[in-house]
Amino acid sequence: MRPAALILRKDLAVLRRSPVLLAILVAYPLMIAVLIGLMATYANAKPRVGFVDEDNLPDTIVVAGKTFHVDRTIREVSHNVKLVDLSPNEARRELDAGRLVAVITIPEGFLATLQGLVQSPTLVLDTGQGGITPRVRQQMQALVYNLNLRLQRAFIKADLEYVGLLLHGGRGKVLGHSFHVLGLDGTQRMLQGLPRGKRLDAIRDFVHDARLALALTGTAIRATANPIKLEEAPQQGRTWVLSAQVQAYALALTISFLALLLSAGALAAERDENVIGRLSRGLVGLGQLVWAKVALAAAVALGLGASIALIFGIAIQAANVTGGEPWQRLPLLLVGLVLSGAGLGAMGAAIGGFAREARTASLVAILVVLPIVFLGLVPREIVPPAGWISDAFPFTHAVRFFNSSLYQSRPWGTLGREAAWLAGIVAAYGAVARVGVRRLLV
Amino acid sequence: MRPEPPILSARGVARRFGQQIALHPVDLDVWPGEVVALVGPNGAGKSTLLALLAGALEPSEGRIERREGVRVGWMPQRPAHYGRLSARQNLELFARLEREADPGLAAEQALTGFELPADDRPAAALSVGNRQRLDLAIAMLARPTALLLDEPTAALDPRQRRRLWEAAAALKGAAGAVVLVTQNVEDLERVADRVALLLDGRMVFEGSVEEYRASAAAVFA
Repeated sequence: MRPAALILRKDLAVLRRSPVLLAILVAYPLMIAVLIGLMATYANAKPRVGFVDEDNLPDTIVVAGKTFHVDRTIREVSHNVKLVDLSPNEARRELDAGRLVAVITIPEGFLATLQGLVQSPTLVLDTGQGGITPRVRQQMQALVYNLNLRLQRAFIKADLEYVGLLLHGGRGKVLGHSFHVLGLDGTQRMLQGLPRGKRLDAIRDFVHDARLALALTGTAIRATANPIKLEEAPQQGRTWVLSAQVQAYALALTISFLALLLSAGALAAERDENVIGRLSRGLVGLGQLVWAKVALAAAVALGLGASIALIFGIAIQAANVTGGEPWQRLPLLLVGLVLSGAGLGAMGAAIGGFAREARTASLVAILVVLPIVFLGLVPREIVPPAGWISDAFPFTHAVRFFNSSLYQSRPWGTLGREAAWLAGIVAAYGAVARVGVRRLLV
Repeated sequence: MRPEPPILSARGVARRFGQQIALHPVDLDVWPGEVVALVGPNGAGKSTLLALLAGALEPSEGRIERREGVRVGWMPQRPAHYGRLSARQNLELFARLEREADPGLAAEQALTGFELPADDRPAAALSVGNRQRLDLAIAMLARPTALLLDEPTAALDPRQRRRLWEAAAALKGAAGAVVLVTQNVEDLERVADRVALLLDGRMVFEGSVEEYRASAAAVFA
């Protein structure tokens, strides 16, 4: 293998002497990874929703005896969307132009219906035709749910005040009329002053039972209003950008671009430089030439991948992320980087051999790498054929290997399976490249 | 009958590139102590035959025979070295591939002997003449018994040209052989012992320079 090692050393020297090319090759996939990250962030961004108030809501309203600051309450419950106050015509125009994803309208008479406590008032939702319409609909349903929750609390509080009045007695007010209620406590006190008797004892029992029952009313009403409560555990884990999944994807994407392009371009360049004839005269076998490119891809994937993992780990430690970076797992990650780089290198060598020219090989490598990466991003549970096709390429196995090596508590099963896949991919594409490399001699 | 077997032989060697026939079956022996010139118009198959003799191409038919122990140095027509590496790096790499005991020393000697720039400039930035000399130096690294040269003097100055022919003469004197592709009549007259004329991928003449001179007019008529 000495000649292959010499060619590998030569390729690394050529790379070292081409700093601009190397910088572009490193920066490009990182840029793609960042852009995909931004896209994912955008997917979580707040959509712009128009807010049309046709009822001219005042600054504060009183519902069930509780005062609500209209604007503040609406802003508080609409934290998943960005509400923009608009007139009906402006809202229509903005929605048609696609600058709003939806418009929510408070129709005339809304407040009166709400305060009447007899009928449910209606909010009107108008959505656009964009691809995120279902998401917007869900977010608006969440908004109405949150609003109902606030009102529900007010209603329950008002109801419980009446229950308290019945229980303990006192002064109350309904529809502007003040009144005094004796209450069950007062009734019990009065009954204690009366002589015992069969009928009075029955009334005493009733008052006693009623007091006990009404004492539980608050809990019962709240339980009826919310049969199931969702409690969100306080967030202590990794943020999206520091998640294991993102680290695995960023690593795999970066080395996929770099290793595939380098290997394809470097093999075809042997012909472009007119050196292939010299080498094939017994100095370097064609098979050795292929393995030299596979080794080049593996070496570059290892170097670049290890640097990215190191930077990522330092960022995690600096941010004091819970769990920290699993430094002791890095050797496993390095094994994955070598195997993935070799798989990508073998695939790149096959491209380089058949493309024959470095420029064509690089173009084909770019055209090939994007679909491979995107196929690997499609969850196989949702589109099984995408998963099957993806299995034939190194990207998806690299992602699983990296993810498992860094964060799975029992990684050995996954690591063994993915290592076998990657070794098979190296052998298969290596064999194809060995056939293709003969075309360089023509 | 010659006392020694040929250094290199082409036996019914032909080469196709897809559907195109570059060389019809050809026989050629290269004997120790001679300089053979391959001549003919562009596209006649001279460079293809030379690459086949060098082992840089595989024949579609026939076979190339090389006497045991023969080392072949090949200098193709187009530059055949790594443009991003310096002349020294190229020489060291090929010296290592040729299993030279001291690649650094071999490279240093080649740089001096062929008057090549010893700085760190990439080979692609060198002049055409320097690049041709670098190719020649790489071909000579293996201390070849048979030296195969494709249009070797096209970009050499008169002094370098003279030094090349001196090296060829030395090789010839040491029972080696030189095969060169040339369009240059002066080179032919000066160094060649034997001439092979190719036309449209066929060898149409093989003989001494004198015989060639006598028959050339008839062949091209």
